[in-house]
Amino acid sequence: MSETPRVISRRDLLRTASAVGAAAVAGGGEAAAQAPAAAATPAAAAAAAARPREAYETLTAREADMLEAIVARLIPSDANGPGAIEARAAHYIDRSLAGALHAEIDAYRAGFAAFDRYCRMSRGKPFVELPPGDQDSVLIDVESGAATGTGAGFAGSSAAFFTMVKQHTWQGMFGDPYYGGNADFVGWDLLGYPGVRTMVTAADQQRLERNQLPPNHRSAYDFDGFNKATARGGHDHDHGPGPMPDDPTDDLAQVHPYEQGELTHGD
Amino acid sequence: MTHFLSLLLLGSALLAGPVAASVFAQAVAPAAKLVVDSPRLKSGEPMHKDFTPDGRNVSPAMTWSNVPEGTKAFAVVCADFGAGLPPPWVHWVIYNIPGTAKGLPEAVPIDPAVPMPAAIAGATQGLNGWKRAIYRGPAPPVGTTHVYYFTVYALDADLKLKPNLTRAELLDAMKGHILGQGDVVPVYERRVPRTAE
Repeated sequence: MSETPRVISRRDLLRTASAVGAAAVAGGGEAAAQAPAAAATPAAAAAAAARPREAYETLTAREADMLEAIVARLIPSDANGPGAIEARAAHYIDRSLAGALHAEIDAYRAGFAAFDRYCRMSRGKPFVELPPGDQDSVLIDVESGAATGTGAGFAGSSAAFFTMVKQHTWQGMFGDPYYGGNADFVGWDLLGYPGVRTMVTAADQQRLERNQLPPNHRSAYDFDGFNKATARGGHDHDHGPGPMPDDPTDDLAQVHPYEQGELTHGD
Repeated sequence: MTHFLSLLLLGSALLAGPVAASVFAQAVAPAAKLVVDSPRLKSGEPMHKDFTPDGRNVSPAMTWSNVPEGTKAFAVVCADFGAGLPPPWVHWVIYNIPGTAKGLPEAVPIDPAVPMPAAIAGATQGLNGWKRAIYRGPAPPVGTTHVYYFTVYALDADLKLKPNLTRAELLDAMKGHILGQGDVVPVYERRVPRTAE
């Protein structure tokens, strides 16, 4: 049993997200180096709830709690390094929903409401109170579309909500820190991405090929060649989402059979 | 004379009958009937929602008896032959279950970091229809009843199969090794949601 139960395996994540790293406008100057706002486990989350945390600008406290718990399972902190919490992916999404992702705010609000109902109906507790294994189980059901049809009230397929949150989590994990995620370059470090460089010497190239080129930890916008005025903002809430990786879960077989659109009945 | 020959042929057939029947039995003998049961699954009856995404979505406990002599390992597959392109849609594949096992406990771990219970130590999960090596229960469209075959295979060898086999790969690997099989076949239908989807 080598298959990870995580909704997105670290292996798949690294395989596909490496494309982001290669394409990302990289660097690292403006990462908000703040402590993680929440922990990856319910117990730690409860402890975190007892201490002050950074304000969320768009999401309600309840939505923010859910989002933090979700991203913590999507890209958990583990022996490979920090995860989405440390990258501040939830804060990236929160801020983006007031800016470039504003058109999706209704999808988030409705999705969170359905997600919460689904957790309570199926597992008897809110998501944040479930143990990690049950949280993974819930997310797998939402990802596969199996949570559709439960009466939770997902608009369309639950898989659509999952895909939206996952893609934005990846942006918050692997996008340029200028946009508010990838704090302390933890996402790029996880990928082994050395960062944007305006000049690469032969020696750099050789070290890169030996996987020995140290990351420069600089945001693309630390370079004069990138114009912040044309970057659609950043900290002024007019920022755009980061690059979008290919989706490893696009594989049709991972979608619930009756949601493949080819079956007249499900399983 | 004709009557005498008929009696002779009949006598020969009666004498040869047991031998011929024995040879025939060896050629086409079905696998022994393994008796499969479950504390919370009954053939023809609706599954509890605990074993579906309407509930906890954990794997059900199962037991088996009348195990064929020489059984060294077991394998279990759950499949829905009313779904899938092509059918069946596979919900669960688990194998390398030790021959000493009397069944499967409820809620087999979905986290590879969590060890299998001692009674089924070494058990390995294969890929279901979602390409995940875990159990995922039924979620048919509302208003349709589907049938779920939990099939248990008793094997004459510990095949030490690699992880992540699909059902088809497992069946292929088990060819020539199945001493017996049995099943429990519950059904499931989702109720009309209380809120509109």
